Amino acid sequence: MTECPDLTQPHLQLIIEMESKLNTDGILLFEQPFARVPYENYRKIFRTSQKNVERELGAVLSTSKDLSSRASSRSIDQEAALKSVDGMIGRVENLKRKLSYLHETAGKPTQDVMRERLHHLATIESLQNSSQPEFSRWADTRLDRWLVDWCLRNGKENTARKIAKEKNIETLVDIDLFTGIKRIEDALSKHSCTDALAWCSENKSALRKIKSTLEFDLRLQEYIELSRLRQTTEAIAYAKKYLVSWQETHLSQIQQASALLAFPPNTRCGPYKRLYDPSRWNNLVRSFRLAIYNLNTLPTEPLLHLALYAGLVALKLPACYDHATKNVDCPVCDGESGPGLFPLGLGRLAEEVPFSHHANSTIVCRISGKIMDADNMPMAFPSGHVYSREALEEMAARNDGIVTCPRTGETCKFTALRKVFIS
Amino acid sequence: MEGPLKELTKLEKLSNGKAPSILDSLDALLRSLQDAKEAIQAGDTYEPLQPLAQVVEMRKKEVDDRQKEVYSTLSRFGKALDKKFPTSLPTYSGTFSSQSSKHAIERTVALHLLRTGQFDAAEIFIQESGVEIPPALKFQFIELHQILRALRNQDIGPALLWTEKHRSFLRSRSSPLEFYLHRSQYIRLLLSSHPPDPLLAIVYANANLRPFYNEHESEFQRLMACVAYMPLSKLQESTYRDLAQPSLHFDLEPLFAKEYCASLGMSRQLPLRVVGDIGGGGALARIEKGKKVMRERRSEWSQSDELPIEIPLLPENRYHSIFACLVSKEQSTEHNPPMMMTCGHVISKDSLQKLNKAGGRSSVKCPYCPTESQFGSALQLFF
Repeated sequence: MTECPDLTQPHLQLIIEMESKLNTDGILLFEQPFARVPYENYRKIFRTSQKNVERELGAVLSTSKDLSSRASSRSIDQEAALKSVDGMIGRVENLKRKLSYLHETAGKPTQDVMRERLHHLATIESLQNSSQPEFSRWADTRLDRWLVDWCLRNGKENTARKIAKEKNIETLVDIDLFTGIKRIEDALSKHSCTDALAWCSENKSALRKIKSTLEFDLRLQEYIELSRLRQTTEAIAYAKKYLVSWQETHLSQIQQASALLAFPPNTRCGPYKRLYDPSRWNNLVRSFRLAIYNLNTLPTEPLLHLALYAGLVALKLPACYDHATKNVDCPVCDGESGPGLFPLGLGRLAEEVPFSHHANSTIVCRISGKIMDADNMPMAFPSGHVYSREALEEMAARNDGIVTCPRTGETCKFTALRKVFIS
Repeated sequence: MEGPLKELTKLEKLSNGKAPSILDSLDALLRSLQDAKEAIQAGDTYEPLQPLAQVVEMRKKEVDDRQKEVYSTLSRFGKALDKKFPTSLPTYSGTFSSQSSKHAIERTVALHLLRTGQFDAAEIFIQESGVEIPPALKFQFIELHQILRALRNQDIGPALLWTEKHRSFLRSRSSPLEFYLHRSQYIRLLLSSHPPDPLLAIVYANANLRPFYNEHESEFQRLMACVAYMPLSKLQESTYRDLAQPSLHFDLEPLFAKEYCASLGMSRQLPLRVVGDIGGGGALARIEKGKKVMRERRSEWSQSDELPIEIPLLPENRYHSIFACLVSKEQSTEHNPPMMMTCGHVISKDSLQKLNKAGGRSSVKCPYCPTESQFGSALQLFF
């Protein structure tokens, strides 16, 4: 005998381990953005408070130093002294107001969001098994979160808001963040850089850290627009003010931009034609989106895409595409598409992913849907069609020992069925 | 989540006014400034001003220290998050980004919202996406949820109307739905009388359960016998205690939804939930791990159309039979189907042919048992 199968493996094909134990790490892989988005938000709030403190107290400090020295040299009158002190009182009160307001409207709510999200994740950590009803509830909420995320990224804001409200998961999704993103993206689509530039200056140091050149690209675009309008003087002034500071890293682009003034917007000269190309605005939208996603640790794709990709890969089999072996319960077989020839939903998406891989046999009963094993053996009709013993026994009990193959209509006595050994 | 939660608690304490706060320092500063103001107003211009710079500096330092404390707590919180979530999500750029994929997702989402009874959200979504769902299909989901709502309110009437209309379909699936609906009603009648009076329930059983006697003989007998164990408290102690379980009624909802969807050719589970739970329950992590191993071995993640690693699935998610021949280690295909030898052992057709050639005769020795059988007597199996 040339080939000998490995018989030390004890019938493992038919013994499916009960893998309903939760894979917590696999679940948490998806949740980094969920936990980090409010954290990044809180850091931003903290930076704002820090800026306020520095500005107001810095000013108070220099005023007080000035006052002190003028007081020691006796070079100040009562009125001026009072005015200065009132000014300081005003600043400190202003700071107090600002800090309290910031905490009430942003700091505290963000802390609450962080707490709720961490508790939501703690729930899943405390569960052992996917058959627990708590898991089902958690997974329902997770799917709702993914749907909201997908809707927000695909311009379906009203649906997102509706789902979030109806499912009471507003603190578990990032509607405000995405609304802000959309506002700036819309402005860019209308050829306005103002909002995007404001965002850049708010996040200057973070953008520098990720080596983003978004700000330069926006400035360059504003310059191009001036050149398009043939406002040469303004364009030169603009370049001096905003572009020259980037010369260390973007010298060649700045040089090209300077030469642009010599070309009218309808030029046929390749490089300059490209600079005038309005599709640059679409690229700006894309780079802005990448930058803001990056800063907020949002993945570039919707979470739903990642989950669907992996889920479909795990399920997809050649059998899903064979009419004789389709199963309405299988998501890849896509019963929701109706009786048409082409899948319209998940089956259509599955066309984009590879097939799953299986090293061992699993025989599923076409009558009961149960996996067959040594306790529920596969039995074959004389024609070779196989079903589980349990299902056939039940059928035989109802029909005086006669069984009928649901696929071929073939009938025989239960005793004429043959036991199948899938080793 | 213990680590991050601990740091978060510290952060909350720092800003919620329990610990000495920035606002305290600012109040103290304000008091000093007010004192100075009053002193100046009282005519003393120089004396109160001289130490003012020092006071401001001291208070500013206090504020700065508080801010530093918040800052360091915040970064510890960040580190705790990093530890808990060490890897960021992978990117599969371009996946499902084509126009037709987008339509497929939109259709799937719309059907999901309808099927889960979120009709308002579904309406908004259909408007926003322009996806087309046939009105008849929409209506079917509305009907489904009306019936489910009635079941929740202990009204089996609408469900029974439906099962009567679809009796032959249910029979072909040997579904116990109709019997279970009547069973639920019967038990309700039985347990709702005080003092226990089984008469009404028995009349109901006679009219409605009797037709199911043949199919559910033993359950029918149990339903009749449990009458002897009234009231509820006694039933709960008896061998018929399962009939007192609330799940006997609650389980009707999922069972009905399953049969209703099957009649429309739809799956028993929510397809989006199934795929999402698998993908988000470890499949993506497994794929990423596989990729990492491949990278370390410096071999390419093959672009072939089969995944090189196996992703474990729950039994409930095995929708198709898979036969992998243990001799050739290959999955069966249309051209290489599973073959059963006379001893009942199964190998792939290719393997069978190889064994036949190796033996050089028309008989084949089974690789698993001592039986020799004729090559031609092997039977092709259909799982």
